[in-house]
Amino acid sequence: MKRHKKTGPNYNRYGWAFIAMAFLLYLLFTIYPAVESLALAFQSMEGGKYTFVGLKNFKRMFGDAVFLQSLKNTFLYMVIQVPIMLMLALILAVLLNSRFLKWKGFFRTSIFLPCVTSLVAYSILFKMMFSLDGIINQVLMRLGILEQPFQFLQNSTWARAVIIIAMLWRWTGYNVIFYLSALQNIPKETFEAAKVDGANAAQTLFRVTIPQLKPIVLLTAIMSTNGTLQLFDETMNITQGGPANSTLTVSHYIYNQSFVYAPNFGYASAISYMVVFLMIILAIIQFSVAGKEG
Amino acid sequence: MSKEKKIRLFKNILLHLFLLAAVLISVFPFYWMLSGATNSSVDITGGNMWFGKNLKENWTQLQNTANVFLVCWNTIKTTLLYTFLSILICAMAGYGFEKYRSKGKNVVYAMFLLSMMIPFSAQMIPLFKMASKANMLDSHTAIILPTIAMPFLVFFFRQSFQSYPTELIEAARVDGAGEFRIFFHLVMLPMKSTFAAAAIYAFMKQWNNYLWPLIVIQSNEKKTFTLLLSSLASAYYVDYGQLMLAIVLATLPIIIVFLTMQKQFVEGIVGSSK
Amino acid sequence: MKRKLTATITAAALALTMLTGCGNSGNAPQETNEPAAQQETTQDTASEETEAPAAPAQDGEAKTITVWAWDDNFNVAVMKEAARVYGETHPEANVNVDVVSLSKEDVYVKLQTALAGGGNGLPDIVLLEDYVSGKYLNTFPGSFADLTDKFDYSQYLSFKVDAVSQDGKTYALPFDTGATALYYRLDLIEQAGYTEEDMQDLTWDEFIEIGKDVTEKTGVQMIVEIANNKTTLVRAMMQSCGLWYFDKDGNINIKNNEALKASFDIILKMKEAGILYEAESTEGRAGALNNGTVASVVNAPWFISSIRQAEDQKGLWRAARIPRISTLDSSINASNVGGSSWYVLENSPVKDEAIAFLQGVWEGNTDFYDTIMRNQGAMGSYIPAYDTGVYEEEDEFFGGQKLNGLFAEVLPDVIPVNYGGYVAEANDAITTALANLFEGKVSIDEALEQAEAQLANQLGR
Repeated sequence: MKRHKKTGPNYNRYGWAFIAMAFLLYLLFTIYPAVESLALAFQSMEGGKYTFVGLKNFKRMFGDAVFLQSLKNTFLYMVIQVPIMLMLALILAVLLNSRFLKWKGFFRTSIFLPCVTSLVAYSILFKMMFSLDGIINQVLMRLGILEQPFQFLQNSTWARAVIIIAMLWRWTGYNVIFYLSALQNIPKETFEAAKVDGANAAQTLFRVTIPQLKPIVLLTAIMSTNGTLQLFDETMNITQGGPANSTLTVSHYIYNQSFVYAPNFGYASAISYMVVFLMIILAIIQFSVAGKEG
Repeated sequence: MSKEKKIRLFKNILLHLFLLAAVLISVFPFYWMLSGATNSSVDITGGNMWFGKNLKENWTQLQNTANVFLVCWNTIKTTLLYTFLSILICAMAGYGFEKYRSKGKNVVYAMFLLSMMIPFSAQMIPLFKMASKANMLDSHTAIILPTIAMPFLVFFFRQSFQSYPTELIEAARVDGAGEFRIFFHLVMLPMKSTFAAAAIYAFMKQWNNYLWPLIVIQSNEKKTFTLLLSSLASAYYVDYGQLMLAIVLATLPIIIVFLTMQKQFVEGIVGSSK
Repeated sequence: MKRKLTATITAAALALTMLTGCGNSGNAPQETNEPAAQQETTQDTASEETEAPAAPAQDGEAKTITVWAWDDNFNVAVMKEAARVYGETHPEANVNVDVVSLSKEDVYVKLQTALAGGGNGLPDIVLLEDYVSGKYLNTFPGSFADLTDKFDYSQYLSFKVDAVSQDGKTYALPFDTGATALYYRLDLIEQAGYTEEDMQDLTWDEFIEIGKDVTEKTGVQMIVEIANNKTTLVRAMMQSCGLWYFDKDGNINIKNNEALKASFDIILKMKEAGILYEAESTEGRAGALNNGTVASVVNAPWFISSIRQAEDQKGLWRAARIPRISTLDSSINASNVGGSSWYVLENSPVKDEAIAFLQGVWEGNTDFYDTIMRNQGAMGSYIPAYDTGVYEEEDEFFGGQKLNGLFAEVLPDVIPVNYGGYVAEANDAITTALANLFEGKVSIDEALEQAEAQLANQLGR
């Protein structure tokens, strides 16, 4: 039978062929473990054996002061650190994209550099920098801002601030990469048009640049939110969650429940799924906010 | 000089000063890391900022603690393999999702995105059981395999392929090119910058991967850098000179890769917008 | 341009094939561990007294015993030394001992994952702190080999044996002890008008008085503790009274724990007197001691290696028994912090070989105990080893004091307590309580009540 040229081969099937490899690996190594751990969330281990306990693990969360504290901390990081970081990244990207800038390569590379450091390594560095005889205290004392060294990591507010500063250092440049590449894809004519219309720099940023960057801003916002909810290495290595659990994050608490305390994988799984649930809600909010503005 | 030019000049200086400050903040810890690698532990905890004379001693200590070359080789091997496989597989998937849209695929795609949100610690025990049943514990395959299909990369590639004109694909089909041939010969090449960005992402992720290698690697001979760092950092008495040197060694290769790739990355972007 | 990229990809693909190709063959020779070779790199001082061992006759396949431990300068080095000694004294055993160095946290992460994941991927021997012993024995019953009949436990310190025993069975070979001492800078004490004599058998109140003078006259703070984890002092004080976070039956004992109350009170007094230096972390603590911003510290024998790093302070240091709590009659000038033991995994394919290895070195070989005491400051739990010369040795860093002798003197006095296994949880609760107390948010009683509630919730009680 003669084939109609226009129908052609079954492209849908080709599509699946492209996806097949990733899909297979994904089913095997993400979905299956995720489902198994979801089942764990309804179990509790006693004497080396798991028993079904229904919703007990979920109920326990609401009475668990440490968990609630960790949730509060995590949201605090999210509300403060993510916007500052994204704004800073955007400003840096715009500046780095400036046609008046000399030694572009040097500036770009230097600003991107922090994001290559391993989390363990940079956490150790930051802990040492903010210690009592660390460089930060030395500089502040030399400048006359402080009379005697300040214990940053022992004051709950400042300990959080140090975590946030550390994260800003590590992740801002990373987001700059995304913004810069997106900026370079905005046609130059758009900016020129704005200039002709007499817009100043700030107006151009908010009326032209940011709207153009909306998809990438959304992407980085979701990524950062996601990252914050999974924040672990920094608090683990810089403050160990202290003082008085004031820097403890949910992921850190999950880790503690699984590996530091008597292993309670059931409860840890339940908390993990609570995090998943929260992330989905946040993503929906972010998408709808972005949708409305457009 | 006209007034306008003066303002421009002033703004330029401000721009450069601001960025210079940002650069200083960015680069300072790297400087410290380097100077620390040449200092003794006591000097580092005492806050010495300058270069010292302890580099050789630190190197000897580090060599005594671990086979640094082997650790380095293990890390490079797993990272390169992972980077290559993950960008290949994720790029194909992203392309599949974008250019062969269908309802079924969108559902699968949504699943991919959702699973980005499951904390890894929640999947660890079942994953470990699988690796153990498959007799893959203590192998580099076990480090690489589970995270090859990275939802984020799939997402990233799908977004990027949006900008690739579908008409070109259709034109190639009319010319009689097969679907895979189109992808590998036609689509991949102009997307160079996308691949470079994805490669940097994958490379960094694997180079700094910690929790999962920790779980599956059993012997000293298979260890990667992050595992070495964490064991160095947690001794009762931490030799910071040795640790700093290890940090430098663990960070240098990734900086080099980043610098070389970044050039290509930026070039690719500039090239595509010309 | 396009051709260039194709070439790059091809090259990359080729390189990868090569990588995978030689991954198998290239690694193969390295997988067999030569214990002798491995030792030579790590032991420079240890091998002085003995000739390098002749390679044991390797007829047939040598079995590998995998050991997990967590400190390259301490227990890892000790176990490597044990492996070397075993190869020398028992060449017929034909085993390789592979000591895998991890961080302590990582040992627990890996162990818990592997035990929960069905038991593959476990080592043959693992080092565990005595503080977590009960937790592992309770949570994973049957996972650790019963060693009750394998060693003569009457030869080991009883509080160490108690710590690794449950229901009349003993599950580990006791390793190091945390015999606690007060390490102090004699030069600073003297500047404040006190002598070495004045530092003996103190109460904490007397200690605080001395500390005030030291801080006033020298500007140096008297004692250091880690800010986010002030529990070293708390634990030392608590056990000096024979009390613990848990009572003999394993019930939580915080709210009404007199020793805890007293130790909170003492630590708060130290802070208010301005003599307590709160280091941010372990490195901050070591740094403060090394650069002379702090005059003393309370800790276990292994801590000396941190103090020794400051070579310019040689001869300035002394050690004494720790102070006792004056308000409690039960409190003595001796305590214990930390300490760990070696466990053999029940399902290990080389279980018998692993036990034989532990027996062969750790029971009877006092020379070995001498070596690890001298080189790593590892004070074992094997009583016959305390009679040897190493405990008579004078330590120049401590002005010729018989430092090891002090530990040997303190140890028999240590009052055994039931650690209960859930010390990590309790430490977290106590740390939080202390932080709240320090910020002035709560009273001591309230802090302890909170801690008890947090711990009870954590343990699901």
